[in-house]
Amino acid sequence: MSLGSRLAAIGGIAVAQLRHDRTRTALAVIGVTLAVAATVLLAATGVGVVETGQDRFGDAGRDLWLTGETIQFAPGQVGGVENSIHGAHEVATELRSRESVNTVGPLLFQTVYVSADGEEFQTLAAMGVPSSAGVSISRGEGFEGDAHYAEGSYDGPMTHEILIDERTAALLGVDVGDAIYAGGTVSAARDHRFEVVGISGTGNQFLGTPTVTLPLSELQEITGKTETDPATLIALTLEEGADAERVGDRLAAAYPELTVRTNEEQFRATLQRQAVALAGGASLIVLAVVAGLALTLNVLLSMAYQQLHEYAALRSLGSSGGTLTGIVLCQSAIVGALGCAIGLAVAVPAARAIDVVAAAVTGFENVVRLSPRVFLLGVGVAAVTSLLSGVLVGWRFLRLDAVRVLREG
Amino acid sequence: MSPPSNTSAPTVTDLDGTAERVVTCSEVTRTFSRGGTGGWLSGGDRRAETVTAVADVSLAVSRGEFVGLAGPSGSGKSTLLHLLAGLDVPTSGTVTLAGRDVGSLSPRGRTALRLDHVGVVFQHFHLLSSLSARANVAAPLIELGHSKRQRRERATTLLERVGLGDRIDHKPGELSGGERQRVAVARALSTAPDLVIADEPTGELDTATGARVLDVLADVASDCAVIVASHDHQALDRVERVIRLRDGRREDEGADATRGENETMSGHE
Repeated sequence: MSLGSRLAAIGGIAVAQLRHDRTRTALAVIGVTLAVAATVLLAATGVGVVETGQDRFGDAGRDLWLTGETIQFAPGQVGGVENSIHGAHEVATELRSRESVNTVGPLLFQTVYVSADGEEFQTLAAMGVPSSAGVSISRGEGFEGDAHYAEGSYDGPMTHEILIDERTAALLGVDVGDAIYAGGTVSAARDHRFEVVGISGTGNQFLGTPTVTLPLSELQEITGKTETDPATLIALTLEEGADAERVGDRLAAAYPELTVRTNEEQFRATLQRQAVALAGGASLIVLAVVAGLALTLNVLLSMAYQQLHEYAALRSLGSSGGTLTGIVLCQSAIVGALGCAIGLAVAVPAARAIDVVAAAVTGFENVVRLSPRVFLLGVGVAAVTSLLSGVLVGWRFLRLDAVRVLREG
Repeated sequence: MSPPSNTSAPTVTDLDGTAERVVTCSEVTRTFSRGGTGGWLSGGDRRAETVTAVADVSLAVSRGEFVGLAGPSGSGKSTLLHLLAGLDVPTSGTVTLAGRDVGSLSPRGRTALRLDHVGVVFQHFHLLSSLSARANVAAPLIELGHSKRQRRERATTLLERVGLGDRIDHKPGELSGGERQRVAVARALSTAPDLVIADEPTGELDTATGARVLDVLADVASDCAVIVASHDHQALDRVERVIRLRDGRREDEGADATRGENETMSGHE
């Protein structure tokens, strides 16, 4: 009974102090809340980005990805992207003839000027594909094919058919059956009027931005790239039962100038290119935790120091350092629990809000993925923040020199 | 409810068996090293200066005595009070509190000794502002593991004894200076100490309020030994005898000092 009664009394004093000094208590709780909410949101976003990326590569239904050595943005060029695979149609034909390869899709990503009326142009992403068979179409139908290539002469008939995604449709105010202008330059766009034959979200899935999709050779034509027949990457599907890694190794040997990756490797490579952003996210988590810890520690310290003479008086009356430390630890535990609860509660609507903003800006939905593991991480941060603060302040009280405090007071 | 009983250490009784000595000190000196980089109470710096706060002081105080400790600022009153209360240990000499040699105890042992035998009243009260008067008085009892009901009963009894029965639920901020000091006196009495020391207990109070607090301390002295350090003539006029300090030494090296030494010697017999 004695220990229980002592603990209850320590808890009672801790609660009384927190209730008495509400401003400081609120600040300390905000410190933990900040650390918890920021950690949960950033971790959930990190998990979401990774999972969304993996989902996207999985959804794409491809087995191998071939890219050139580098893919660079080239703002000074028409199209805005420097593509390092050249002679894409020929490479694709060679690849199709190989054993175990089922389909070959050279993909070209460019930025193009697009307009519904030929007057006001917007820059959008464009994806060139050899056939609409490889993209999913939600409404309308696909385009006929890539006849304009004509064995490299680029004098075959252009279909002037284009697929757009829902966001582009909303952006331009057009639908299936309407016509839009598209080209690598404004003047080229005025010369090329395409009929919207269907709605496809595939390009948007790849790029996360409003995208138009058209035959590869026609995209090369309207961006002036017919000379080199470029592609950004080539996506392969393999025959049933083929070993992606073994086929990949063979292709890497045959095309030393290209990089061959499996889905997983391609995703990892994509993530590596975003290393700075990922490091930034991790730094933000660390910063949030450190800021929360600093705030909580400071406030608990100031609460304790404000009562230093009172604690010294209790020490002189025979109260042990353990009792005073217990009060501080109890306070920090209460602050931690409150901050944790509020931080987790705040994280849920904040995650929804970030999802809405992310969907509007990038087109990716459900990017922030809250999960029990992420919540557990938040609880861990709250525990560490409050415990560390409590231990640091409590340690000060264990070493409290009552005589010195009273003498100086 | 009966007050907590202190049975952890024997007290010392005079040869004639009439007065129970609570605290004695024999040729006690306390020096501090000051200066250098370590600050107050630190040592070891070559430039540190040694300051003698208390020099060769002997005295004894018995249960039922109301003793004053007088002297100008810097005379060593507070240091001597801290030594008598077991808050500090002498550099040389012996302080015996409730029959125990304070210098031989560990810090934890001295804390336990204070809990059982000493109550302290401060000039600035030092009450926890977040707690009611009753909770402040009951706070030292937490260490003894008393139940909440026992703590509340004891605190209520003591507050009634110091005339604050109608203020038990008030927080320090809602009390006058005199009332706060009476709460502090009640807190000092909560563990039923053998010795109550008060450092300038009327320093913050006006004359009438100070007189009320001194009345309470005088009443307390019927059960235990009370030592009051003060500049205040009003306080020193109320006590039964006055020990005067100057530059850390007793000015009244006469009957009192001799009495203290004799008592100390007999206490070791």
